[in-house]
Amino acid sequence: MAATLTKAKRRKPSNFGQDNLVGYLFIGPWLAAFFLFTLIPIAVSLVLSFTDYNVLSNSGDFIGLDNFQRMFFEDRRYARSVNATLKYVVFAVPLRLVFALGVAMLLNTWRRGVGVYRAAFYAPSIVGGSIAVAVMWREIFGNDGLVNFTLNLLGIEGPNWLGRPETAIWTLIILAAWQFGSPMLIFLAGLKNIPRHLYESAEIDGANAFQRFLRITLPMLTPIIFFNLIMQLISGFMVFTQAFIVTQGKPLDTTLFYALYVYRRAFELNEMGYASAMAWVMLMVIALLTALVFRSSSYWVHYESDEGPA
Amino acid sequence: MAAVDYSARPVVVRPPTPWHQHAVFRSILYHGLVATAALIMLYPILWLVGSSFKPPDEIWTNQTAILPIEPYPQNYPNGWAGFGGISFATFYRNSLFYATLGTLLSVSASAVVAYGFARVRFRGRRLWFAIMLLTLMLPTQVQIIPQYIVFKQLGWLNTFYPLLLPRIGGSAFFIFMIIQFIRSIPVDLDEAAMIDGANKIGIFLRVILPQLTPAIITAAIFSFYWTWDEFLVPLIYLNSPELYLVSLALRTFSDPSGQTDWGAIFAMSALSLLPVFVIFISFQRYLVEGISTTGLKG
Amino acid sequence: MKNRKLVFILIAIALLVLPTLLAAAQDQTVVRISWWGSQNRHDRTIATIELYEELNPDIDIVYEFQGWGDHWTKLSTQAAGGELPDIMQHDYARIEEWVANGLLMPLDGYIGSGVIDTMNIADSSLAGGMVDGQMYGINLGNNSEVFTLDTDAFAAAGLELPALDWTWTQFEEIANQIQDALGIHGIGVLTSDQLWKSQYMGCCDQWAYAPDGMSLGYEDDQPLIDYYNMLLRLQESGGMQSYEDSVARGDQGVEAQLIVSQEAAMAYHWSNQIVAVWNASGPERNFVMYPIPRPEGGQSQNYIKPSMFFAVTSQAKNPDEAAAFIDWFVNSVEANEILEAERGVPVSSVVRESLLPNLGAAQAEMFNYLGLIEMDNSPIRPADPAAHADVVGNIFGPEFVEPVMYGMISPEEAAPYLREEANRILAAQ
Repeated sequence: MAATLTKAKRRKPSNFGQDNLVGYLFIGPWLAAFFLFTLIPIAVSLVLSFTDYNVLSNSGDFIGLDNFQRMFFEDRRYARSVNATLKYVVFAVPLRLVFALGVAMLLNTWRRGVGVYRAAFYAPSIVGGSIAVAVMWREIFGNDGLVNFTLNLLGIEGPNWLGRPETAIWTLIILAAWQFGSPMLIFLAGLKNIPRHLYESAEIDGANAFQRFLRITLPMLTPIIFFNLIMQLISGFMVFTQAFIVTQGKPLDTTLFYALYVYRRAFELNEMGYASAMAWVMLMVIALLTALVFRSSSYWVHYESDEGPA
Repeated sequence: MAAVDYSARPVVVRPPTPWHQHAVFRSILYHGLVATAALIMLYPILWLVGSSFKPPDEIWTNQTAILPIEPYPQNYPNGWAGFGGISFATFYRNSLFYATLGTLLSVSASAVVAYGFARVRFRGRRLWFAIMLLTLMLPTQVQIIPQYIVFKQLGWLNTFYPLLLPRIGGSAFFIFMIIQFIRSIPVDLDEAAMIDGANKIGIFLRVILPQLTPAIITAAIFSFYWTWDEFLVPLIYLNSPELYLVSLALRTFSDPSGQTDWGAIFAMSALSLLPVFVIFISFQRYLVEGISTTGLKG
Repeated sequence: MKNRKLVFILIAIALLVLPTLLAAAQDQTVVRISWWGSQNRHDRTIATIELYEELNPDIDIVYEFQGWGDHWTKLSTQAAGGELPDIMQHDYARIEEWVANGLLMPLDGYIGSGVIDTMNIADSSLAGGMVDGQMYGINLGNNSEVFTLDTDAFAAAGLELPALDWTWTQFEEIANQIQDALGIHGIGVLTSDQLWKSQYMGCCDQWAYAPDGMSLGYEDDQPLIDYYNMLLRLQESGGMQSYEDSVARGDQGVEAQLIVSQEAAMAYHWSNQIVAVWNASGPERNFVMYPIPRPEGGQSQNYIKPSMFFAVTSQAKNPDEAAAFIDWFVNSVEANEILEAERGVPVSSVVRESLLPNLGAAQAEMFNYLGLIEMDNSPIRPADPAAHADVVGNIFGPEFVEPVMYGMISPEEAAPYLREEANRILAAQ
């Protein structure tokens, strides 16, 4: 089994010739939308990051690298927002992925009622960002909310989750882990795409469930794991809504996520120049990390075809 | 548990199946575990729905309970009435229009673009792919104002164009996702079709697309929900209350410094989950069936 | 591939139909207006607008409304795009910033020519909308800070109601007595920036900001230090809700105040919010409204604050018609019978009197209270400087209140830092 997979991986590049016309035809819609709607705002925000542009005065002067100097050396809240964001990414991203994959495996069966379970596990991911949701999460982590009630049953006295600087960010991390619905669905779709005959022949070979998981499921799923990892990484760095509606960055800026701080600067204080500079620093950091993950992918991601943009 | 394993123990003479491998036991274990977890997952929604039936003076005084002491269905008509005669019927019509059309646009375009990236070699492919990923990494917040000015120049303020037209290029998220799915489809199939004389477009439509059902269904489920839930961009571009979406209307209910009808907010928030849930339930069927349509013929 | 064709046809139809749906032919003068609020305000305001259109068939008022936070996101984007509505609802803490950026239009001309009639409006009610000697916002309702007391809780604790000119010392004692007698808090947290700004008015007749807005208005940190030491004592004793608890509960609006759920016997809020507090508490409860306690031997810290303004923007297409609408909105008895003082006590004495007979209990208390404050108040403060949001959002909250209330730093250490940093921001604006 392992041998056939390796062989597939080593397959020489297929006999597709280069075809510029067809290629651009297919990605044409994206290119059109990019040039029409995306390029200008992105370019403008890059230019603004070197200015002190203020939204209300609708003007700004070029100030060189002042914005960057300010954010790295003068702005104490900036450092805190970096801190909070990194902590969130380090814990929430792996947690979400592990939950998502675990539950997807659990739900990838033909048992009766699995559709209902799937809906139940996906449900927390669709509650969205309305004000009611903020009240709901506060209630759940409140002093006599569900979390502390459960801890109480186990004989543990729960902390004042949202009120303590040490625990507040954990409510958001748990919330993120709770809302693993989207990577879970993608994993499920990926599991569905694994040809059944691979499992059947493995079973004939006498592989047990764990071996099948290790030798078939995991390698066949690596393109999807790779995708989910990249996307969770990006969305982890850009996390906004949870802090925006639930904690507003409190207490003591321990949940002041980067994107929330960018938003505050941009729209509450109208400092769009400074906000743009912050956004571009984040873009570079995410891009660097993403590039690293892409680099590593040749060692662990298995494709059925070597075709692909990266 | 104990009662189950003894009654289920087979009494035949052949080497007994260890109790923990028995199908009935495993089934009970599976359902017990998964159902408990599912209930915990559902708790927030149950709470939301329960609270939407609490009368105004119970919402803050009987907060932890799921069930209201005195059910108060009046929250629903109160919320549904909307604002100054513009009811949620209008907001639902707008949201359904936007989420449906927006999903169709972005998912179908994403599939086309993804195929180009995944299966056609052309000059600049890696570069454009990298740029596409980069567009995901810049927060919308800093793009809003320049984008607003662009759409203003085009005369598209207070229309759905700024929300819909950028979708003709698909969404980077779905494009990348579908690329990954295409790349796990063996190229043998493409080659076989090519020998039969199919061109790239033919391969896309006849070989790749049918195999992408699970990916496309997944993309459609997400796209619908994300579009349904979107508020920042609609807030900026839709001025007339007749064009407001459900997501916007929900945020328009409350004023931290004034009087807020929380019951109505809960009621409309709970109700707003319904379309998203219905889409999910009706589409996830295809996720299950996906395997039969994609069961490889190889 | 039938499905795909269908998709394209659908899209094509939608794109063709949309513009015709949206293009409404107009031969009336259009006045655009935008406000923030909740369902109640939207309903009342829209009904008022519809009445106005009925009375003025040549005017079409096109309205937009949103929640508080979204209002500013949307309006500042519109400002950058030159797309501001004719009339926008504005806020006392932000008006100076908008004026400084030339986004609002002075209304003195309209007042002089009588388009906006201020005959029945007291100067103290108008003063809040003045920036640099010109009028930029017409006050839509008078408001003042208030300490609301739950008289039933006071009775249950065996406490007499204090005198109206009560002091902070008396307040602290009462809060602790409530905690001792009833096991509930005396009051919710008192860390709002409003109270910081008022402290100096009570003791020293100073305002937190200097008249030119380029620095803080005080040199002596002691009153602020004393105040926060009192809060720390109260937090410790339970006389006041702990800051930690208030963070955990979050800012969930007026209805979530502790006095509503009977977890506290007093509450600090704006006078117009008494209606929401009373509604959420239930009609059987009894409340009275008190001014802010004052320092020993000090003066009143209360002032009459405009709850919100209507301002005409400098990007307005039809400012004349906009001004006429504002005049009607403020002065018309008919309009205000629909609005029912939802934005605070109406500024026009004629309107006020016409509403008096039909007030509910909460509103009557609010009208009374404002009458009381009008008799004994401190002078109106200048509007907050443009950098106010920066000072409060980036320094006062995260660098002063939070570290002090979490016990990470003493008020003695934090107060000079607050002054230094605030002065730096104010000087740089």
